[in-house]
Amino acid sequence: MSPDILDESSVIWFGPQHVSAHGWAAKLTIVGDYIVECDPNAGYFHRSAEKCLEFRNFRQGSMILERICMMEAFLAEYPYIAAVEKIVDLEVPERAKIMRTIMMEFNRIHSLQFWWGQFAGELGLFVMLLWPWVDREYSLDAFEELTGSRHTVSYATPGGVKYDFTPKFLAKMETALKLVKDRMPVFNDMLAGSPTFRLRTEGVGHYTAKQALKWGLSGPNIKACGIPMDLRKDDPDPNLAYDLIDWEVPVINNEEHPGESDAFDRLLQRFKEIETSLDIIEKLLPILPEGPIIDPKARSKTNRLPEGEGYGRVEGTRGVTSVWLKTMAKAQTPWRAKIRGPCFASYYSLKHIVPGARFADFPAIFGSLDPYPGWWDR
Amino acid sequence: MGFVGNLGDIFRILKHTFRQVFRRPFTYFYPFEDREYPETTRGRHIHIRETCTACAACVRACPVAAIRIDKEDKKFEKDCALYFDYTRCLFCGDCVRACRYEALFHTPIVDLSEGDRDDLIYGPDKITTLDRDPLEWRGRRFR
Repeated sequence: MSPDILDESSVIWFGPQHVSAHGWAAKLTIVGDYIVECDPNAGYFHRSAEKCLEFRNFRQGSMILERICMMEAFLAEYPYIAAVEKIVDLEVPERAKIMRTIMMEFNRIHSLQFWWGQFAGELGLFVMLLWPWVDREYSLDAFEELTGSRHTVSYATPGGVKYDFTPKFLAKMETALKLVKDRMPVFNDMLAGSPTFRLRTEGVGHYTAKQALKWGLSGPNIKACGIPMDLRKDDPDPNLAYDLIDWEVPVINNEEHPGESDAFDRLLQRFKEIETSLDIIEKLLPILPEGPIIDPKARSKTNRLPEGEGYGRVEGTRGVTSVWLKTMAKAQTPWRAKIRGPCFASYYSLKHIVPGARFADFPAIFGSLDPYPGWWDR
Repeated sequence: MGFVGNLGDIFRILKHTFRQVFRRPFTYFYPFEDREYPETTRGRHIHIRETCTACAACVRACPVAAIRIDKEDKKFEKDCALYFDYTRCLFCGDCVRACRYEALFHTPIVDLSEGDRDDLIYGPDKITTLDRDPLEWRGRRFR
């Protein structure tokens, strides 16, 4: 770009007060209607969660993690518990493993329902903002029936889970999942079938699989490029039940531009994620055995942990979420905790994706990457 | 996609929109009407002093130090007074799970609001009694 174009440029801040920037901010350099430079700024959400973890014992730490990302609360708290289970030897009962997995997939569906609404809202389609959120209420009702809380479920604990499935919960979950299944074609028509929506998303926010790997993207953002990279398949957690059943990694492969993805592909990818989650729950529910839901020695074993390191990770809705814990001998609290959120990579990849796009396409680009501010500030 | 194709798409979307118009509303007339809360709802706590043994398991379990215990204040043989700070409480439910003597429970009352911050610290008088039923205080009910 010749320097005289930059002479006419102006700098504006997108956020933190903009409606669809949920409190975060990016500095955009604009020439006419085109963005030539994007400078994402982290730091508006910093609540020092990693430091907070150093002052909580091993049963309390997951409460902090839940509050980093409310939309995928259970998926966010699980890596911490997985890390604790790596350090101390706990026998998680078979029933608890399957219950965890079911709740995890249910939470993923709920999070993706939220994302549909959010994405459509960012593009200005406010009807589609509300419809998925109404359906989401049924999922929240089911969470409330099981755990007592709608968002921050606090469901898993080292060694098992806290609450047993009840017939009422199973009935509510069935209602919620049936609604998701019934409404999928409607949302497919409203979003993927809508000419307005296609015009705004097709060819916008383009990147290749090679770039995505280089930037460290994960989850649906990389699967949309056709790379079947999924932790649930690649490195199944021994305390989850993904290896008990047959299921396929959801991957979109666009024939028009293989190995690349735009905002529309990422939408289709997330549709497919929901289908996979529904499939996994359907296959796991019949094989749910009877039995205990928690290791009876879990409480005494997690009071003081031996010296060691634990690294727990899980395929979250937005990508790979992981927690690393380091403990000293007879530790009541972690000596150091490190949280790796999935959205730091997708947020800073805006720097490379956005330049060259029109200003009105900016919400479509960051909306399709599904960034959540809690994850990059921790 | 030509003009006819677009028109077809638009009609397909309008079909869903019209169907939605005739669905029943999902909103509640909130201050006067509320949904039913399940029994498991983690709302404000209630402390049963008759069965409490002042073991302080709830205080140790709390991740945010929202519970203060006063072991001197005894009403029965071995109970204690608990002060709940609802400006700090996360409603994670760990204190209730930690209690082995059936002395601490959640109630389905979730709408805690006060004019003054200090009123949100529930002392032994407030935490041992339910001043209202979850729905009753809102007066008349619609629908």
